[in-house]
Amino acid sequence: MLELIDLSRRFGDVVALDSVSFSVAEGETVGFVGPNGAGKTTAMRIALGVLAADSGEVRWRGKPVDQNVRRRFGYMPEERGLYPKMRVLDQLVYLAMLHGLSRADATAEAGRMIDVLGVAGRARDRTDALSLGNQQRVQLAAALVHRPELLVLDEPFSGLDPVGVDVLTGVLRERAEAGVPVVFSSHQLDLVERLCESVVLINKGRIVAAGRIADLRSRDHRRLVRVEVLGAPPDWYATLPGVRVLDHFPDGAILELSDFLRERDVLDAARAAGDVRHFSVVQPSLTEIFREAVRT
Amino acid sequence: MRIETDRGAYRLVARREFVERARDKSFLISSAITIIVLVGFIVGTSLLNNGTRFDLGVVGADARATAEQVVAGGKALGFAVTVHEYPTQKEAEAAVRTGSADAVLVGGSQVIAKSQPPDQLLAVIQAVSIRERARQALERAGLPPDRIDAVLNVPPLPVGALEPIDERRRQSSVVAFIGVLALYGQLFAYGYWVAAGVVEEKASRVVEVLLATIRPSQLLRGKILGIGFLGLCQLLLIGAAGLIASRAVGTLQFPAGAFSAIGIVLVWFVLGFFFYATLFAVAGSIVSRQEDLQATMTPLTILIVASFFIGIGAVQDPSTTLASVASYLPFSAPLVMPTRIVLGELAPWQALLSAAISIGTTIALIPVATRVYSRGVLRTGRVRIREILRVEG
Repeated sequence: MLELIDLSRRFGDVVALDSVSFSVAEGETVGFVGPNGAGKTTAMRIALGVLAADSGEVRWRGKPVDQNVRRRFGYMPEERGLYPKMRVLDQLVYLAMLHGLSRADATAEAGRMIDVLGVAGRARDRTDALSLGNQQRVQLAAALVHRPELLVLDEPFSGLDPVGVDVLTGVLRERAEAGVPVVFSSHQLDLVERLCESVVLINKGRIVAAGRIADLRSRDHRRLVRVEVLGAPPDWYATLPGVRVLDHFPDGAILELSDFLRERDVLDAARAAGDVRHFSVVQPSLTEIFREAVRT
Repeated sequence: MRIETDRGAYRLVARREFVERARDKSFLISSAITIIVLVGFIVGTSLLNNGTRFDLGVVGADARATAEQVVAGGKALGFAVTVHEYPTQKEAEAAVRTGSADAVLVGGSQVIAKSQPPDQLLAVIQAVSIRERARQALERAGLPPDRIDAVLNVPPLPVGALEPIDERRRQSSVVAFIGVLALYGQLFAYGYWVAAGVVEEKASRVVEVLLATIRPSQLLRGKILGIGFLGLCQLLLIGAAGLIASRAVGTLQFPAGAFSAIGIVLVWFVLGFFFYATLFAVAGSIVSRQEDLQATMTPLTILIVASFFIGIGAVQDPSTTLASVASYLPFSAPLVMPTRIVLGELAPWQALLSAAISIGTTIALIPVATRVYSRGVLRTGRVRIREILRVEG
């Protein structure tokens, strides 16, 4: 289990982290979610020892983390970084060896990783000769090449095409099933919802919500409906008393209903406005939970 | 499958620095050019110095006997004479006319040239001929052969030079000059590589991946060791090429001196490199882009260039006050001290003292540099050293 305990860090007058605590259990995949500048990267950097905390502690399997323990972690920084002139395979072998693998193991694992991530054909190319998407895959391989006991990935999905997303999703699931705790930050909340059982929501340096997504949902007592109406004037729902718009998209919206408003009143209003294509009571998605948490 | 300690991490870093740079095309090309230029210089100067040679034609047996002595005389004076035999005087004259012979000896009695035979050649021919004719005259006068030898083999006049040329000293100066040049080039190039390497890791952000695995001090140590070792190997290669080339063309009259000079240069490269590399690493760690590196490197550049000029001055006169002082300061010693040692200006303890000062300064510098490097290497933008030392100090 990875534990972040009471981490605080300021940069000058800016409080980046304010008593941040959360933990990730073996085999658990946790989404680390928050607006830009909320402190996700700072927290991850501290967990990896790249940055020092002003106060607080990081523990792994109950013990404080030191350099030798950290070498068994896998990390993908938000700021991608590889040696541009180094060949892909050499680079991965080197990083694996830095993490403590023997040359033979490092070579075998590096070969396996580029195979899994679909860049085996570029093994002998200079890294900067690869497309950004492929460089991203190599970056992932770099985080995974030493079979880490823990994975900390900062925005691993950003910049990946849908195929890359599928590949990464597969790899993360496989690692989690092997018992490896995985923490990753992302703004793609649908992905987080798909991959993670638990999330940690951070805003302005403080944890605002944490736990299983299902629990967060059931704790959210808001009543939401999803309505899609063709041919209706835009904002037809604006005239309804007791409605708050959580999201809107072409021909539709997700509405939060106040206590005195009934679902069928909304349906009636929708019918009056145009052709109702879709009407359902929905559970708050992670996006809605996130918005709500960040709003307060 | 795992090694539980990370003590060897700097070795991996050093290995990478060495291997990646050594197989870089531009490195291979520049090394080749350096060696070609050096060998070319050595071979070229030897051709210029030992290039005097003459073609002497002979007609008849008497002339051939004289010519043999001319060849011996020319050798003693540092030029080569090639003898060509011609059956008749007519053919010999034709050879002179076409220029394939510089002069022709006809019998024991005549020298024929196109217009004016070369002075050096003519002087030797005349000297040999006068001696030969004197011998014949003495023989005719009935002197016994041993008396003749006694008369003819008088010792040459002793020459008292007011400013004698010390050949050994002259050659040492050349070696020292090449040494200063090589040290200057190596310290500059490899110091710059350290700085540029630090910036490359910062600019490409790979440093964050690395520092999640190893400590900044390990990264710094490995980088300096790897690049320094490459510089040492290249210097060794250049030295060996120079030595082989000089031996091959025969310019090197004091090989023992050249060997020890190369040794001295290598030692001072190591001393100077560690001192400068530490500072270059700092210069690199406080900027984020290669474009900004020039500015932070300027003080170091000035130090190296100034030391280089003092070093060149010391080749001319190693005993000036400036050279003496500079050979004990850690930044200039690597470029001044080797010259003074090679020119035999110093007692061994002086060289050792200077080396000790250099090592001591570097050792004192390393913790400070490591600290600045550790703090600077993860920051972006231009970082002020004073600020780094104060913050979290």
